[in-house]
Amino acid sequence: MAALLQLAGVNVQFAGLQALSNVDLSARGGEIKALIGPNGAGKTTLFNAISGYVPIAAGSISLNGSAIHGLAPHAIAARGVRRTFQNGGLFPELTGLENVLAGLHARIDASFAGILFGTRASRAAERDAVARARRLLDGLGVSHLADVQVNTMSGGQQRTIEIVRAVAAEPPLLLLDEPAVGLAPPVRAQLVELIRRLAGETGIAVLLIEHAIDLVMAAADVIAVFNGGAKIAEGPPAAIRTDPAVLEAYLGHA
Amino acid sequence: MFFLQLALSGLAQGAIYALVALSMCVVYRATTVVNFGHGDLVMAGAFVVYLLVVLAGLPFPASAIAAVALLFILGALIEIGLIERIKAGPHIGFALMCIAVGYLLRGAARAVWGREVLPMPRVFDFPPVMLGELVVTADALVIFSAVGVLLMLFFGLFYRTSAGRIMQAVCQSERGAALVGINVRAFHGVMWGVGAAMGAIGGVLVAPLTLLHPGLGAGFLIKGFAAMTLGGFGSLGGAVAGGLLLGVAEQWVGGYVSTKLIDITAYLVIILVLALRPSGLFGQAVAERV
Amino acid sequence: MNGQTPQHALAHRALGTRVFYAAPLLALVIPLFANPYTQFIVNLTLVYVLVTVGFNLVLGNLGQLAFANTALFGIGAYTAAILMAHAGWPFWAAIPPAGAAGAAAGFLASVTALRGIRNYYLAIVTLAFGELLRWSYIHGEALSGGTDGLTVRHADFFGIALESETARFYVFLLIVTVIVKAVSNLMRSKIGRAIVAIRDNELATASLAIPTGRYIVLAFTLSGFVVGIAGSLFAVLIGQVIPESFGLIELILHFAMVLVGGLGSLFGSVLGALALTALPEFFRPFPGLYEMFFGGLLIVFLLIQPRGLSALCAKRWPALRDRYYRER
Repeated sequence: MAALLQLAGVNVQFAGLQALSNVDLSARGGEIKALIGPNGAGKTTLFNAISGYVPIAAGSISLNGSAIHGLAPHAIAARGVRRTFQNGGLFPELTGLENVLAGLHARIDASFAGILFGTRASRAAERDAVARARRLLDGLGVSHLADVQVNTMSGGQQRTIEIVRAVAAEPPLLLLDEPAVGLAPPVRAQLVELIRRLAGETGIAVLLIEHAIDLVMAAADVIAVFNGGAKIAEGPPAAIRTDPAVLEAYLGHA
Repeated sequence: MFFLQLALSGLAQGAIYALVALSMCVVYRATTVVNFGHGDLVMAGAFVVYLLVVLAGLPFPASAIAAVALLFILGALIEIGLIERIKAGPHIGFALMCIAVGYLLRGAARAVWGREVLPMPRVFDFPPVMLGELVVTADALVIFSAVGVLLMLFFGLFYRTSAGRIMQAVCQSERGAALVGINVRAFHGVMWGVGAAMGAIGGVLVAPLTLLHPGLGAGFLIKGFAAMTLGGFGSLGGAVAGGLLLGVAEQWVGGYVSTKLIDITAYLVIILVLALRPSGLFGQAVAERV
Repeated sequence: MNGQTPQHALAHRALGTRVFYAAPLLALVIPLFANPYTQFIVNLTLVYVLVTVGFNLVLGNLGQLAFANTALFGIGAYTAAILMAHAGWPFWAAIPPAGAAGAAAGFLASVTALRGIRNYYLAIVTLAFGELLRWSYIHGEALSGGTDGLTVRHADFFGIALESETARFYVFLLIVTVIVKAVSNLMRSKIGRAIVAIRDNELATASLAIPTGRYIVLAFTLSGFVVGIAGSLFAVLIGQVIPESFGLIELILHFAMVLVGGLGSLFGSVLGALALTALPEFFRPFPGLYEMFFGGLLIVFLLIQPRGLSALCAKRWPALRDRYYRER
């Protein structure tokens, strides 16, 4: 099966500094791949490059065989890439429900004129989206947050809403940037279960940046290790655990 | 010759724009707040000088110093008393606060002076200097020397002294500056004061040259923005260069096209630069230096 | 930790809808109690409801500082006045072009957003663009009448001559109700959500496949349309269109109405217009007091109640909180 996402020789530079050098990476439908490595290893930069927030200096990024590098973030998202943000990417003055609805934006089939005049069809499209958003919130056990404004939620609640929003439109590729920060242990277990279910049932590809190594071991099929802007190892969890380059990178940093 | 004469009077006008733009730039760089009421601080500087010279009968130099000192205090008070207090509110609040303060000052000026425009007695009354066939007016000479000295003083302080380097450090990273024990709040207040005082100097310099009215500030605000945009928004040297360039461009447009168009030169500069080359005329050079 | 159940939310929305329609229905009886002067103020209030609703779309919902609002108000007024005075159009036919001209100006004021111009930069572009428009009102004598302006005499609305304040009131009320309803529809849809999402976090908005630059321009265009319509009503109400009406003195009033009413709140826009429309008249005899009052009012609200009167009301009556979705 061909890879959904394919990165080849990707370089990213910030003001002359090499943030990513010559990274090759792929992601397949149904597979969960975790990206680990010390802070500053370039993991979030890689997410930013894939989703179009930073330009790449060399290499290529393709989705389903067609190049996506150089496209604007919204255009890349429109091709089926969704991501979460390390520092929180919610809309603080909107409610949980409204945030999830924003994630469904492109799937709401209502014309400008229809919305303006409140036609039956546009109302129906909106109603369906609201119902779907409520089901999604319910599925993650956060239906009580639907009408709560985000800036009054706890950090863990916000993470959960952001994940619901990211998966709402059933993207073929999901990038999760430290989704477990601030989550209580039972919610973390739920999160692992959700990620596995998403990959297993709907066949989406998941890239996961995570520092909590227990979560990575429990959730990931494959682990890619980054250090200093380069990928230094990739393989199944068991193999990574004993990889000498990985141990070196981590011990060298500890 | 006409071309050069226009350029020369443009440079004199542009020197004022440069000063105003630089003073706006100082506040922006130090606090990341764009003061949309800055023009009214320029106006306030001019009006205080008028008040002291015409109504209190003080000599011009003493009045000028008093006006600049007063505006320094006012600028610092605006930052500490108003801007600092709304950090928790909506993001757009800073700009609205600046606008509100500007209107308050303008209203106060109008309440004192009424609706008519005010001429101020001439201060710099000596004959023009001839440079070949070019005429350099007394006003232009005073402006050139005053702005020149100020710019040397400012850039010397900013780039050559340890106090200046501390300022640069805070501009770079507020958190870093706070960590090494710099009082960032006080710094912001001082920089607002400096910006207001520099703007006031612009007002003091134009006060004897133009008719004064409370609405004076709006023009300076837009011209300051045009200068900043031309020079690359946030660049101190760019603001100065942009101001001079704008002054010259206005005179050429007025001299060769129509005097009606002098006023809209700044508007067109802003729109065209931001539409075609948002980093400003020298934007590329700045990027290469890094 | 228990939020509102959907049933509660539905009940709230039903109440909100009732409030929405009750207001214009109750307003129908105003002419029974008003003398021509108070009726004029009521009509002016309706004009400012549209001004504030339109400006708030950009200032509050999009969260983008902008200065061109009075110029957009002006272009609506001039378009209507030119069509009526020069070309002899009836009032009703001049309203859509006024809105279209406002929309076109809103589009032009913000089109640099497609090239990545944002925040302060975009605000400064709107400042320059607005001043450019105002310059053209003064210097485009052939069309605009220069500083003398244009006089609008006979306003004809589908055969009804709008000679009295009462006649104007009913026509204005109809137009304002229809437009506020349409804006409300827009706000409670994917379009309204996209606009407030950009205000809250533009990077995240783009990650949801929402083309943010286009929505910024759309918000400005819609805003220009609504404010342009307001301009055409203003032209007919005042009977005269002069450049002075669209200057900096007017701008502070627009800012104050949006902020006092409540940034980003449709209900607040109505409140802001209701609260402030009558005030400028009182300051007319005292030069400077007008600017001091509205500057001071903005400062007080920014310090004490930065979310405006609508937030105070919403705290007491949750049904009045602005929502960005609809469930029925």
